[in-house]
Amino acid sequence: MNEKMKETILNPLFKGNPISVLVLGICSSLAVTVELKGALVMALSVIFVTGLSSLVCSLLRKTIPSRVRIIIQLVVVALMVILVDQLLKAFAYGIDKQLSVYIGLIITNCIVMGRIEAFALGNKPIPSLLDGIMNGVGYGMILVIVGFFRELLGSGTLFGFPVLSAIGYTNNGLVILPPMALIFLGCIIWVQRSIQKDLQEK
Amino acid sequence: MNTNSNVYTVIYTTVVCVLVAAVLAFVSQTLKPRQEANEKAETISQILTAAQFGEKSSWTDNNATINFYKENIASAAVVGANGFAVSELNMADAEVYSVSKLKAQNYNIKGGSDVELPVYIFNNGVTVLPIYGAGLWGPVWGYIALSSDLETIVGAYFDHESETPGLGGKIKDDPAFRGQFPGKKVIYGNGKAFNIVKGGADGMANGIDAITGATMTSNGVDEAINIWLEAYKPYVLAQKAVTREPAEDGIMLLSEETVNE
Amino acid sequence: MEYLSLFVKSIFVDNMIFSYFLGMCSYLAVSKNVKTANGLGIAVIFVLFVTLPINYLLNKYVLTPGALSWLGDSFATVDLSFLSFIVFIAVIAAIVQIVEMVVEKFTPSLYASLGIFLPLIAVNCAILGGSLFMQQKDFVNVGESAVYALGSGIGWYLAIVALAAIREKLAYSHVPAPLKGLGITFFTVGLMGIAFMAFMGISL
Repeated sequence: MNEKMKETILNPLFKGNPISVLVLGICSSLAVTVELKGALVMALSVIFVTGLSSLVCSLLRKTIPSRVRIIIQLVVVALMVILVDQLLKAFAYGIDKQLSVYIGLIITNCIVMGRIEAFALGNKPIPSLLDGIMNGVGYGMILVIVGFFRELLGSGTLFGFPVLSAIGYTNNGLVILPPMALIFLGCIIWVQRSIQKDLQEK
Repeated sequence: MNTNSNVYTVIYTTVVCVLVAAVLAFVSQTLKPRQEANEKAETISQILTAAQFGEKSSWTDNNATINFYKENIASAAVVGANGFAVSELNMADAEVYSVSKLKAQNYNIKGGSDVELPVYIFNNGVTVLPIYGAGLWGPVWGYIALSSDLETIVGAYFDHESETPGLGGKIKDDPAFRGQFPGKKVIYGNGKAFNIVKGGADGMANGIDAITGATMTSNGVDEAINIWLEAYKPYVLAQKAVTREPAEDGIMLLSEETVNE
Repeated sequence: MEYLSLFVKSIFVDNMIFSYFLGMCSYLAVSKNVKTANGLGIAVIFVLFVTLPINYLLNKYVLTPGALSWLGDSFATVDLSFLSFIVFIAVIAAIVQIVEMVVEKFTPSLYASLGIFLPLIAVNCAILGGSLFMQQKDFVNVGESAVYALGSGIGWYLAIVALAAIREKLAYSHVPAPLKGLGITFFTVGLMGIAFMAFMGISL
């Protein structure tokens, strides 16, 4: 594996993390991190969608007229998300019921568009696919961390199973409210930038 | 090739739009029968769950669910605003009102035009009435199952399109929310028929606690229940008057003729 | 009066940022100073105000089941609602593209400072969110949807200008080094959000 490939894979996880460094995809991370399960489902779907739409847009990159590129990109993303939704509805209705809540959030997730604009339009298909997938993973990682703490402290459970509530913990209702996700994200940034000092802003 | 010329841009955009629309229309048409079958089984499983025939997760097989419904349904009809039955649902085909049909009726209830509301009555006397309304992000709907006295709630089930998982989503996912319904009553009196209140529902015969952190969704469900129960009021009151002197074959639906006799 | 209460409600009670947390990404990234925040805020108001009525008309006369009945009886059963996501997104993207071209032509300095975030208005959840709320709220006419769009846009604008003003002051305070910039902004927005919850449930 060459140096550039390694960079493409590792960068989105830490140094160029979509949430904590690039500030992309915040809205969805506020909505779905109340529970660990929701965070995980969202993370998996975003990995799938970013990977695939980066791949397709990279394949189309030489043909897209630059003036209408946003429309074309969005149509590609939306088409893929809706296709997946329709197929699941017909063949795996149970899974679709779980996912349908997130469909709108995935289409408007700026990570998908952000990576297409910043990477896929200027790179070959395979690195674009990797970049898409790894950005999805970097995003999912933060989601799962926040989801873990919010469900544990807010509901006393993990994946719906009682953990803290089993030993007499009183649920902290404040943690469930959406603004608290911002505070948790702030803490994650705090920790990350204490370790990686070169990310600190002047 | 110059990808920035006007002609190229227009042609490219048109081709992409037509292609995408064609793919979506094709997929949507070919998959429609399967999707509708799935949706119907889902609706039936929600009705059965509300009527306490089993937990929601136990209805996994479409055919088994539909067959169970056919075996246990006593009568399924559509009632009008005056409480009289206007038509029957096809029980042999397990015909039920889909969510989109409930949505259409919700418009009618609010707009004051002719309503046609479904009523499902099972062999054990349980009557299931659907409700529909708006949550925080999108529609919420559900089913309230009443025992044969048409007052005591046997169970309830709710579903939603896009409420936040872990907050508003609890109306569906949290068994504790649904678990508050059995044993409560629907009271047609001066106030609301049923209440979902923040905090203090203790000891209320027709009230339960709202979901913490999901005030808007809880209010939406509360409003949906009350608007729909109000629409069913003429039917329920008429049925109560009849069931006090039970007819020979148990519960029967009122139609205008039986009242005239 | 109806319009006025809808307008006030959509600015404060149903604030896109603090009640629904929509459009967060560009909100956090483009609020470093009041001047650019001003530009983006106005762009959002404009895009919302233009797209929402268009999407309202499309939804009413094309997309909802039976909406095509004005074409004749044979169209009365057509249900195109599966297209609504893609149609809304396409309308939004087209408007954003036009705004991008206009801004680039007339104010290159604003264009340079907005950078990647102008194209990202297209995926600004506040814009699509506005259209989806419109679909859900069943407005009776175009006027209501336009008033709602204007209110939501102004709410978003006020929120971003408020945050930008706070961040300009924050630049002079002693924040722990790892928290500088983005970190402290997250905390600030979180606290602003909690404060804004006081508006929740007010009925006008």
